Amino acid sequence: MATPDTASAAPSLLDRLTGANLQQYVVYVGFIAIFIFFAVVLRDSGFLTQRNLVNIILQTAPVTIMAIGLVFALSAGEIDLSIGSTVAVSALCAAMAMAAMPQVALPVGIAAGLGAGLAVGFVNGALVAWLRLPSFLVTLATMGLIAGVARSLTQLRSIPVTDPMFTGIFGSGAVFGIPSLVIWTIAAIAIGHFAFRQTRFGAHVLATGDNARAAMVTGIKVPRIRLAVFLISGAMAGLAGLLYSGRLQAAKYTLGETDLMTVIAAVIVGGTLLNGGKGSIIGALVGSLMMGMLNNGLILMGLSVSDQMIVRGLIILVAVAVSLRETAR
Amino acid sequence: MNQPVLALNNIRKSFGGVVAIEDFSLTVHPGEIVALVGDNGAGKSTLIKIISGVHAPTSGSIVIEGESVAMSSATKAREHGIEVVYQDLALADQQSVYMNLFLGRELTRGPFGQLDRNTMVAETQRLVDELDVRIPSPHAAIRDLSGGQRQGIAIARATRWAKKLILLDEPTAALGVAETARVENIVASLKARNIGVLIISHSLDQVFRLSDRICVLRRGKQIGIRKTAETDKNEIVSMITGLEAA
Amino acid sequence: MKTTKLLISALLAATLLSPAAFAQTVGPNGESATPSSDVVLGDEDIAALAGKGYKAALLWHTSSDFINAVAAGANDEFARAGVDVVVTTDAGFDAAKQRSDIETALAAGPNVILSLPLDPVTSAEAFKEAVASGVELVFLSNLPAGYVHGTDYAAIVTDDLFQMGKQAADVLADAIGGEGQVGYIFHDAAYYVTNQRDRAFKTTIEADYPGIAIVAEQGISDPARAEELASAMLLQNPELDGIYVTWAEPADGVLAALRSAGNTTTKIVTLDLSEPIALDMVKGGNVAGIVADEAYELGRAMAAVGLKALLGQETPEFVVAPALTVTADSVAEGWQQSLHREAPESVLAAQ
Repeated sequence: MATPDTASAAPSLLDRLTGANLQQYVVYVGFIAIFIFFAVVLRDSGFLTQRNLVNIILQTAPVTIMAIGLVFALSAGEIDLSIGSTVAVSALCAAMAMAAMPQVALPVGIAAGLGAGLAVGFVNGALVAWLRLPSFLVTLATMGLIAGVARSLTQLRSIPVTDPMFTGIFGSGAVFGIPSLVIWTIAAIAIGHFAFRQTRFGAHVLATGDNARAAMVTGIKVPRIRLAVFLISGAMAGLAGLLYSGRLQAAKYTLGETDLMTVIAAVIVGGTLLNGGKGSIIGALVGSLMMGMLNNGLILMGLSVSDQMIVRGLIILVAVAVSLRETAR
Repeated sequence: MNQPVLALNNIRKSFGGVVAIEDFSLTVHPGEIVALVGDNGAGKSTLIKIISGVHAPTSGSIVIEGESVAMSSATKAREHGIEVVYQDLALADQQSVYMNLFLGRELTRGPFGQLDRNTMVAETQRLVDELDVRIPSPHAAIRDLSGGQRQGIAIARATRWAKKLILLDEPTAALGVAETARVENIVASLKARNIGVLIISHSLDQVFRLSDRICVLRRGKQIGIRKTAETDKNEIVSMITGLEAA
Repeated sequence: MKTTKLLISALLAATLLSPAAFAQTVGPNGESATPSSDVVLGDEDIAALAGKGYKAALLWHTSSDFINAVAAGANDEFARAGVDVVVTTDAGFDAAKQRSDIETALAAGPNVILSLPLDPVTSAEAFKEAVASGVELVFLSNLPAGYVHGTDYAAIVTDDLFQMGKQAADVLADAIGGEGQVGYIFHDAAYYVTNQRDRAFKTTIEADYPGIAIVAEQGISDPARAEELASAMLLQNPELDGIYVTWAEPADGVLAALRSAGNTTTKIVTLDLSEPIALDMVKGGNVAGIVADEAYELGRAMAAVGLKALLGQETPEFVVAPALTVTADSVAEGWQQSLHREAPESVLAAQ
């Protein structure tokens, strides 16, 4: 891809000259600007060390994975607020399954974690697709419900994850020196981008979010698309849960709880519309890295916690405002 | 051969006890433009829904090229070669022109079913050139187009897929004078493609400019069919309103 | 699920009965306590630290009044020793964020890290990199599972949790005249700090005050639900003489429940200083007393013990800062001693 992607189309020269597609570049420009700023300001504070830069990617891996799911959901005109709590349930299910069957820890862990995510996705999707309940309300309810399930699963206890295969594949391992979390991120982005940009499914997701009636009358099976995006979103949250439990070598009910807002910000800054019809997987990746970099850089600047929050909030506000301005015409 | 592309025989539709369409019969021949006129509530939209497969008639038959068909859904109607240009156009605004032209029927290639964007773009360009729909580029997003351009794209899409019949629902209701003229030119050019066109319009001027025959509907009843060349506005107005011509 | 819960309570009861846990605060692994007043940086220590360019990082689990006071104590002590605090973070109770914070902080190359590990299981892996890089770790309250004093970390510092719970029992008993019925609202989560304080309250009432009966017990995990839980408790036990609330935030809710019931007689005792609670107390409301910790002293001791480790000195494995009972007469001094600042104006004005 020579041009930065959005799902609508490769911009023509005319579009580019008139700036009609400006918003899709905002995230890249913003990312580079913030990077340069930190690189200069924090040149003696360890920001540019290889370890720190790798850390940013490792730390954002679960958020990036969740963001992929959310791009599908938002592009289809739906929202999934339950991804954060799904992460916790998936991580706990995986950890409990592995503790129960240590001889076959790896397969049961993966099956339990992804299965939990898919199950949540199916419930959300079925309620939205077939009962036509608004996804905001459905997932607001399931968010709380699942958080409650996560708390009751283990009576708030943390469950250690000891299987070395599992923690290697989903946490601290590496292949040819590339950390497994980086490999997961690249693989998920590549597959997500292909499915979103290059397949009929991706086109139907966008059409559904853009104009559900038009999609319906042109023969797109809209309910099926809606169900599918929630399954993807749930599965991605499940995978994020596996990554968290692999990285921390433990699962806890608080995992993912605070990630929802970061994921939404990353996705919106990355050029995905909140009300459907337009999205970008690569944009979400860059948005997620930008959030991670902001966290990292503001901490290394030695700001107090409240100042970190204020500055981060302001930057996200500016980024979202700029990236939405063009489409809000 | 002049077999009608569409024949509606004694169509009747009732919702519960309320009769919406009573004993309606109409044929549309290839290369022919038939206009359906009538006041609000006359049953035009019910008829469109019957022809496009949204509603099944309570009784009567739909015959397409001599074959009696049962249409249970819009998908079925499309399979029989009927395309509808809805009043709201049913376009996806954020998407490009070419993706809209192939909405729900995207072309793919390769083992992973990749979208064949090049072919779709090329076909779009060819079609808009043929129909003289002037748009900046097949890549342009629908939201960046004018009302007339959008209408043109919606008609182009129907043209791309219709094998037998295009149903046009108020194609120029939202357009200005110049744009209306452009869209009418496009509609007129469909005759050359040897498909039937059924157009619904409030504008009698337009109906007289475009159509070969005019079918009048009033309160669910078919009042009559006239050859456009053999009637005038006064007659049609009196048929629509039920008042005798002065 | 019920049986697991029973099993857990049985295990807790068993720990309670072990003599070490009965009478005083012990570390997460049964370490015996060294008073924080014994951990002091002398002039020669300060001199030895001067000009070394040491850096410190404060990796907290949340942001709160308490953490602010601890951080103030630590910052002042670090400043006295000429050590820069280069990083401050807040994990928002998120174990994954805590791990990220540690990694990020290490990029700044600190020599000492003060932190509250969120829980023993998840933090074991999270702090591994810090241990490996040779940073002196001083933990607040919690200890990552399997960590060894001296090699993995310098010290754990905490409140005198047992004393806090005990003093809460004493002040409540005093307020209701040594006999009556009390309600017990405890923190329903596996959290070492609150669990120890809650248990100390209960055991003190049971052991030292035969005239007082705990007639209602209610666990709470979400402070926002305190009001409804307290309302239900009052409905079922309208004759309650006193209520113990595990910490100040849910105590707000309990106060609200009492007020809406028009109840002015039931006494409340809770832990940790808070403006609305103190205000009710000085106005002669339901609140009989607040037991506070010396948060500022806690922070000072954390910094001091970390720097001692940096100087290669022997460090005590478990340090406790004293508890402090604050009543209507002693709010001004209480605030000063606990948080190292003036009591809120509203509280002083109402006195």
